[in-house]
Amino acid sequence: MIVLAKIALGMAWVGIASVGVLCSEGLVNVKVAEKQPHGVHFHVIAPAMLAPIAVRVAPRSALAEAERKIQPHLPEIQAALDSLRDIDDVVLVEVRGPDEHVEVQKEGGSIIVDVNDADDVVHVSVPIRAVASTINQIAAAGADSL
Amino acid sequence: MREATRKRVRIAAACCMLAAGMVIGAGSAMAAGAEKYLHVNVQDPEKSESVNVNVPISMAVKILPAIHNNNLHDGKVTIHNTEMNGVDVRTLLEAVRTAPDNEFVTVKDKDSDVRVAKANGNIVIHVIDKKDKQQTVDVTVPMKVVDALVANAKSDELDIAGALQVLSDAGDVLLVTVHDSSEKVRIWVDSKNTQD
Repeated sequence: MIVLAKIALGMAWVGIASVGVLCSEGLVNVKVAEKQPHGVHFHVIAPAMLAPIAVRVAPRSALAEAERKIQPHLPEIQAALDSLRDIDDVVLVEVRGPDEHVEVQKEGGSIIVDVNDADDVVHVSVPIRAVASTINQIAAAGADSL
Repeated sequence: MREATRKRVRIAAACCMLAAGMVIGAGSAMAAGAEKYLHVNVQDPEKSESVNVNVPISMAVKILPAIHNNNLHDGKVTIHNTEMNGVDVRTLLEAVRTAPDNEFVTVKDKDSDVRVAKANGNIVIHVIDKKDKQQTVDVTVPMKVVDALVANAKSDELDIAGALQVLSDAGDVLLVTVHDSSEKVRIWVDSKNTQD
């Protein structure tokens, strides 16, 4: 009985540690709600670490187009992400109209985009570290395939 | 006994000096670390629309040198002669920089009023376009920023990153206002991360 309890405790610790490692780069939060009747509503919260891992295991051919588009702008993207990490929390862009509200902000290590218009409500929150890792993985995928 | 008292006094004085040094050091570090933001605000009350942009200047200064696109390289923009109708912008800015405070251009006609002047360490441009919905444009640029635009740039370049860096050290400044019958545009620099 005690042995079983120890095994269960061990497994619980492994589970907690795994969740901790998975969430170490923060969480990606995507929420989309269409305003029309019977519109699509979905809400996904996933560990941000999965994005670079997914890029790593994805077929190289599938990443070729993304790599081709990213590669010329890689220095700008990396400079932007580096400086975004360093700055204080700030609303970078806010657009308000009669039937729309768009906001892009940096908050606590994440980039948050909120859109609320006549058709949809969209909320996307992505940790900056995860964006940087994913971009680097995509760029590296192109370099590996050469 | 006196020697012991003197020793204590010396230790206390050293501690006070150390504390004062730390306070001064911390103060200057905080002042140096104060982030400046470039704000853009566009209001169109007729359409109930507004656009607010808040960019930390340190961020812009870091990103600009990484951009190599068209005329922008290493934080410097290249001005081709054809774009300025033969006007040598660099020489023009240099002439303004070294000139004393003065009114350089004053034009008044039925369509527009234009005034370009140097005053209180700033270049001031004031335009009223009477044709186009009575549009008013005011531009104020600190001379230090003008200096930085040309200081480390080649003859056909303007150093935008350098100018932004100087702008962040120049204090709060209202750079541009544009008013017409429907829209208001403001561009300014301060140390607040919001537009409130």
